[in-house]
Formats: sequence, C-alpha cells, structure tokens
Amino acid sequence: MARITIDPITRIEGHLRIDAVVDGGKVQKAWASCSMWRGIETMLRGRDPREAWFFTQRFCGVCTTVHAIASVRAVEDSLGMEIPLNAQYIRNLILIAHALHDHIVHFYHLSALDFVDVTTIPNADPAKAAEIAQSLSDWPGNSKQEMARVQAKIVALVGSGQLGIFANGYWGHPAMKLPPEVNLLAVAHYLQALEYQRKANQIVAILGAKTPHIQNLAVGGVMNGINLNSQATLNMDRLYMMKDLFDEVIAFVQQVYFPDACAIAGFYPEWFGYGAGVKNYLAVPDLPTDTASTTFDLPGGTIFDGNLAGVRPITSSRDDYFRKGVVEDVTHGWYQGKGAQHPWQGETVPNYTDFQDDGKYSWVKAPRFEGKPMQVGPLASILVGYALGHELTRKWADRALERVAAVAQRPIPLDGLHSTMGRYAARAIRAALLSDLAERHWKLLVTNITKGDSSVFNPPQFPKGTIQGVGFHEAPRGTLSHWVVVKDGVIDNYQAVVPSTWNASPRDEGGVSGPYEASLVGNPVANAEHPLELLRTVHSFDPCLACACHTLDVEGRTIATVKVL
Amino acid sequence: MSGATDAEAPIAVVGIGNVLLGDDGFGPSVIELLRAGWRLPEAVELIDAGTPSLDLAGYLHGRAVAILIDAVAATGAPGELRLYRGDELRRLPPKPRMSPHEPAVQEALWIVELSGSGPRKVLLVGVIPQSIEPHPGLSPAVRASAAAAAELVVRELARCGAAPTPRRNPRMADAWWMREQRFG
Repeated sequence: MARITIDPITRIEGHLRIDAVVDGGKVQKAWASCSMWRGIETMLRGRDPREAWFFTQRFCGVCTTVHAIASVRAVEDSLGMEIPLNAQYIRNLILIAHALHDHIVHFYHLSALDFVDVTTIPNADPAKAAEIAQSLSDWPGNSKQEMARVQAKIVALVGSGQLGIFANGYWGHPAMKLPPEVNLLAVAHYLQALEYQRKANQIVAILGAKTPHIQNLAVGGVMNGINLNSQATLNMDRLYMMKDLFDEVIAFVQQVYFPDACAIAGFYPEWFGYGAGVKNYLAVPDLPTDTASTTFDLPGGTIFDGNLAGVRPITSSRDDYFRKGVVEDVTHGWYQGKGAQHPWQGETVPNYTDFQDDGKYSWVKAPRFEGKPMQVGPLASILVGYALGHELTRKWADRALERVAAVAQRPIPLDGLHSTMGRYAARAIRAALLSDLAERHWKLLVTNITKGDSSVFNPPQFPKGTIQGVGFHEAPRGTLSHWVVVKDGVIDNYQAVVPSTWNASPRDEGGVSGPYEASLVGNPVANAEHPLELLRTVHSFDPCLACACHTLDVEGRTIATVKVL
Repeated sequence: MSGATDAEAPIAVVGIGNVLLGDDGFGPSVIELLRAGWRLPEAVELIDAGTPSLDLAGYLHGRAVAILIDAVAATGAPGELRLYRGDELRRLPPKPRMSPHEPAVQEALWIVELSGSGPRKVLLVGVIPQSIEPHPGLSPAVRASAAAAAELVVRELARCGAAPTPRRNPRMADAWWMREQRFG
C-alpha cells in the first residue's frame, strides 16, 4: 500500500492537492484539497452592486468573463429586471467565444500531453500521419509537408536535450498508447491550436473592448454603442470582422478539435471505464434568447445516480428548484462551524487546522444540491441536454460516439460517458455544439440590429430595503452561480459558488466525497512514482483553483511534486 | 480597441498579476501608470493580462518583443526590482502541472517558441512583493517602485526604437482597484 501526495505547493501560491491511497494497483481512497483561501468575496461587502463585476472578473485569471457575466446577472436577478435583446446576444457571443477558446486550450495545451507521447514522434512516418489526419477530416493543415515540418521541430527539440514545454511529461509510460503518427498529428494540431484560440479571444476583444478583462458590461445590459454607420461603435464592419473570426474558429473546432478528441478517445477505450465518480449532475440553462431570461438555447437540469430518464429541468434563475437547492457545507473545510448554509446566508470565516484526513483538510467548501454532491462541467451539460432531448446535443453526442467507436472498433454506449474519457469527449461535443450556436447568435444579433433595434441598456433602480438575487452561467468548467444580497443599494453579502468548488469539493457532514475524490477511487495506477493515470482523471475535470494568485518563482525553488509514503 | 487584434502590435508590454491580491497587482498597476503618463507609438500595445496562466501564450504569439511585468518570488527586500532576460526565464526548471491553470510564464514562452511565433526579445521586470493577501492595492514599498518600473519599461522601449513620449497632461491612472468606489 502506498500513499501518494501530489502537491505542487510553493511558499506563496495556492494549489490543488490530491492525496490517494493506492493498493493492488488501484486507488482505494482519495482526498482533494485546495491550499489557498478564497476570501475575495468579503471584499465586496459595502460596495456598489453595479461595480461588483469589476472585482469578480479578477477572481480568476482564466475565467475572467464568466465571473463578470454571473455578477451582472445576479444583480439584475435581485432587481427582477430585463435587459435588451441586443445585450443578451452580445453577452452570449462573448460567452461562446470565451468557451471555444477555453475548450481548445484545455484539450491541446493543458491535457493532451497526458495521452500523447511526444518522444515517439521521431519514429513517425509523416506521410502516414498525414494520411490518418486526412481520413479524420479535410482540414487543410494536414498535409505531409506540415507533418514533416512539425516532426523536424520535435526531432531538433529532443536532440537538444532541452525538452522545454515537454520536459514534464511521463514519457514512455506504459499507459501511453498512441501510435507515433497519431502523436505527431496531435502535436501538429497542438501548435495550430495556438492560432485559433487566439482568434476566439479576438472575438471577445471586439465585443468586450479588451481581453482578458472585458469592459463592455453593465448591470442592465452592455455598453456597446450600436450604429451600423459609425466607426466608433459596433458597426457592420466589426460585425463581419467577428463573423470571419468565428468562421475560422468554427472550422478548427469541427474539423480538428472534435475529430482529434474522438480519435484519441478511440485509442483509449478503457478510459470510458474509469473515473465515473459522482454520477449526480448539475447544469444550468444558458444563452438566453429573450429579455427576461426565461428561454434559453442551452438547457439545464439535474440528473441523479446516472439516471437520465429521471432528468429534472431547471427553467431559469427564478426557478426555486435551483434557488433553494444549493447549500455549502464547511464540515471538512478550513472554516468555522459545521454543516451547511445557503449561499445568501453564507459566511466565510477561516479556521485553519492543518491537513486532517478525517477532519478539516481543504479551503474549498462542499457545495451540495438537495444534500447531494454534484458533478458539473461539459459532461453534466451534455448528459442533461441529451436526457432532455436537446437536438444539437444529441446530434454532436451521437456523432462523437460513432467516431470513437469507429476507431476503437467496438461500440461505446452513452453510459460510457460517465467516465474520465467521457469528460474529454463531452467537452469536445460541447465545443462543437457551441460552434453551431455561435453562427445562430451572430445571425440573431445582426437581424435584430438591422430591424432598427439599437437598445443595449436598461438603467437599474435600487430600492430601499433588502433584496437578493442569483446569477448563473454554464461556464467552460460547469455551473457557476453568484449570490448577492443588496441592502439599501449596497452589497451586504456576496458568495460565488464556482464550478471547481462543486467538483473539488471535500467530504460533507455525512462523509460523502466530492466528484474528484470519488472519481479517483478505482482508478488504476501502474507506477505510484509516476501517477499519470491520476493526472488524467483530475485533468479531465479541467480544474481551476489556483489562478486567483500569480507570483512567478524565478529562483526555481524545489517543488514537492509527487511524494510516495 | 486594445487586446488581441488582427494586426498585432510588434511590441507587447504585459502586466501580470491579480489586482485583488495586494502586491500581486503590481504588473497591472504599472500598465495603468504607463497608460496615464505616456503616449505610446503604434508599435506598442499595453496589456493588463491579469493572471492568464497558459493563455499568456496567446498574447505573446506573433510579437517581436515582449516586456512582462510581474511580482516575483525572489530573495530580497519588498519593493526591489529585478530584471530577467528571456533565456534566464526559459532555463528555469519545469514545474509539475496539477491544475492546468497554474502560473505559466515559462511554459507560455516555450510554447510560442516551439510554434515559431515567439518574441525574439523577452524581458521581465519583477518586483519582490511584501503582501499578497486578499486586498486591493499595493503596499507602500511596492507602490514606491511602480514609477521606477514604468521608467524602466520606457527606457527598454526606447532601446527597441519605440520610445514613448511623456504626456503634457498626464491622465489619472485608471487603477480602479485602488479606489473606494467606482461610481459616485
């Protein structure tokens, strides 16, 4: 028996820490802990609710826009106000562009190397790699010349002994299974992806004035002046500049990312059998299509125990099923107290104790829905959409499963998505369906503007007394909700229940594990010194915990990577 | 419009850090000082990148020169400025990646270099922080170094042939995180 601690803790940064007890080549018990206190919400008390989004946008450096949108939605919800249609569409386009950017980066730059062994690339036949790539899609960047060019780069890199970005991989690990040619095409697309994630970000910049911190939001709408003939506003030129960029990003998602994700999944079919963990899923509806945010292009709802037939929809942020269903439990978190509180009543009083296996061991609170831990993220959104009969979800999910099955040469049932690989597949499915919705929402915006509607903002009016609201967003990592209490026009309480809090949740008062923890149990580990398999499962959630703080360590201080006790 | 545009300015000055975590907000604060006090040539783009992790690669892609401003964990007194050249940064030992969203200056540099789109010249202006507790605003020691860091960036830009000119009427720095209220 071995206890593995993966803990990249440095002196001043906060990180995710995973502890796992491994016996007989499998994880028997696991803990997920975050080593940084997220006390940023307390800073918002006493401030003007109209400026909260400026602060929340800085909660996280990677998920900036999502916290901005959730914040203005929360304040609008507290006022029960509607926002103009143009504002909805502009926000939706920002959210879609951001999500496409985020999913592309996650797949290629943050997690593909868990499955792709770069060191085999010198042995690849570029002609064969091009042939495989061309069998997957007719993307123009799949030529033999392109594959040979990338191979030459990698050969030079491996030859130099300075692997740079690839220095950290578990190369030659027995769990690496791709043929050299597939590794080569994956790395070719890894490099191309850099260009397309950037284009997606350019769309955010056109609408949001800046990235990564958009400037165009307001409680009540957006601040984009619309005048089709003015250079200073959102005019036809800019709308078409955005369309051109979307077209390029959509092509990359549908012809490169989606086919790659399906093909790589097909080479690792066993990973559809590991990592299910918590099979309760939560997703919220998003991409509102009316001024009151009651109709949506993406459905939301809950699934319990993997029972898709029992799916229950969440209709809007006014739905009491959601409003009353969410609590946060601090029994195993480094906070004062025990048990659960609703976010509007939530308190954040730190109480650090050290890591106690059976006591408090994380700065993450344990969110629960109707008392249950929930998995959030693209998988939740895809399963809920599928269960509710959402057409676009079914189209892309069915396509993905067919493609995976063709490579794996065995059928992969929908149930296989409850797994580590299911989370990777679901993210690609979501990117593909969002790329369809990008076109739709661009058309909706242009049609509405050409009809003569240039309205973008309704001024908010704050009443005397106490009001409370929730704003949610189905973010790239899953359900995000901001909960605000406003008293006499000033913020009285503010709580953000973020996707990684749901997934990285510690145990609750009843000792029930959160999704990361549960998904690791039963996970194979061939070599405790090189727990690649654990990283695959953790990375499949796309965790985002540490980004609120950034200080570059220029002295290269040693970092405890993996400790086997 | 700033941020990513199709015709990328060849020189990027990138402030990195979280403005809600005390001295970690040094980079963005220096960016606002530069915006307020200097008129910049077309070739230069100022970016408050926040804590972009690997997304930083997107801001470095296609540039000739990148000047980064960040808080650094180095030995010394709070407020001390340190200069690092690209090669020193690239030679730092690689770190394990647990969460895919950890700070990633060196990784971002490696990626753009590998793709052939990386800046030829990279400079990092670092400050040693006093406090990175959750609180908007810089400590006195670090705040005192912000102007010096801005001057340093100005000198480097001049060396690259893109000398900023001081504004006759400096604007107020739009560092909203230093103010009590944005409205009213």
